[in-house]
Amino acid sequence: MESMPGQFMLGKLDDVARWAQSSSVWPLTMGLACCAIEMMSVTNSTYDIARFGSEVFRASPRQADLMIVSGRVAQKMAPIIKRLYDQMADPKWVISMGACASSGGVFDNYAIVQGVDTIVPVDVYVPGCPPTPDGLLYALNLIQAQIRQGGRGGIFAKA
Amino acid sequence: MPSSQTPSIAGLALDPTSVRSEIADAEILRIAPGDLRAKLEALRAEGFSMLLDIGGVDYLGREPRFDVVYHLLALPAKVASLAEVGTPRRIRLLVGVPESAPSLPSIQDMWPSANWAEREIFDLFGLTFEGHPQLTRIQMPHDWEGHPLRKDYPLRGPAREATPRPAFALKSNVPAGAPPSGKTAAALQKQIARARGQAPAPDGGADS
Repeated sequence: MESMPGQFMLGKLDDVARWAQSSSVWPLTMGLACCAIEMMSVTNSTYDIARFGSEVFRASPRQADLMIVSGRVAQKMAPIIKRLYDQMADPKWVISMGACASSGGVFDNYAIVQGVDTIVPVDVYVPGCPPTPDGLLYALNLIQAQIRQGGRGGIFAKA
Repeated sequence: MPSSQTPSIAGLALDPTSVRSEIADAEILRIAPGDLRAKLEALRAEGFSMLLDIGGVDYLGREPRFDVVYHLLALPAKVASLAEVGTPRRIRLLVGVPESAPSLPSIQDMWPSANWAEREIFDLFGLTFEGHPQLTRIQMPHDWEGHPLRKDYPLRGPAREATPRPAFALKSNVPAGAPPSGKTAAALQKQIARARGQAPAPDGGADS
């Protein structure tokens, strides 16, 4: 839009807040297994998660909005993931990336949690072993759509 | 599950001293637990300066039930020719450990690298090492019960082993009677039943 004196736009504050939130869903820097390799590849120029404003992988859960559970969750890792989720500020979202995070996958054994949704609430499950980077981007798009269409988010954001 | 099959498997074969003694790159010695430290000290004086790893094996049904394997490496102090560089001497020591007395002397005072290896064997096999300064779990959570690499440990863990393993169709999110893009849950269950050699359900519907 060409900037000229006297021009202005009107909009609901909540819509503006949702637009801003959905365009800056910052993921937590957390890789668990081989899915993390695909997760990292969404940041490269081929897939470019920066198109959606989510290239800022935060090293602190205090600054992150999105937890991408990228791989199998070991029983020993489970309390750590729960703690990281609790440390994230509301509103927050979780993507369960891949078969292992979603259901335990092929690891139907004593060491692996059978689905991360037994620990933290999951917003989007991404199927695949591992999912393609496009799949992960689509999951992010679904979360963005959820925010824009009145899900969690906005100026009265709650968990 | 293990009791019916494992003894024959273990009895058949898995004694490395008989099956694999001809392996060229490593001598294999079987020694008694009481001789362990003396033998290791002798080997160390002989030039086997490096403890590569300590492994554990559970031959369920055999007596003694466990083997602990010490991998030693002799790094040449001086290499006479280039051909020697890639061929350091190796040796493996096998120590049988009976289930009734699951204990060995610790060697972490001789090789500090044994410290974590012995903790790992304690964690996963439940064998103890006398004289170890801190014999605690290293891989499993500290409040874990049981020793998972024992062959009689239930694969899915003691709590879940009692519950039936969910069929793939029941884990699937395809609703019954779902459209043609994927198989319906009923079709999947028929396919699974057929794969297991059971008679398919008598409704005779198409499979896909």
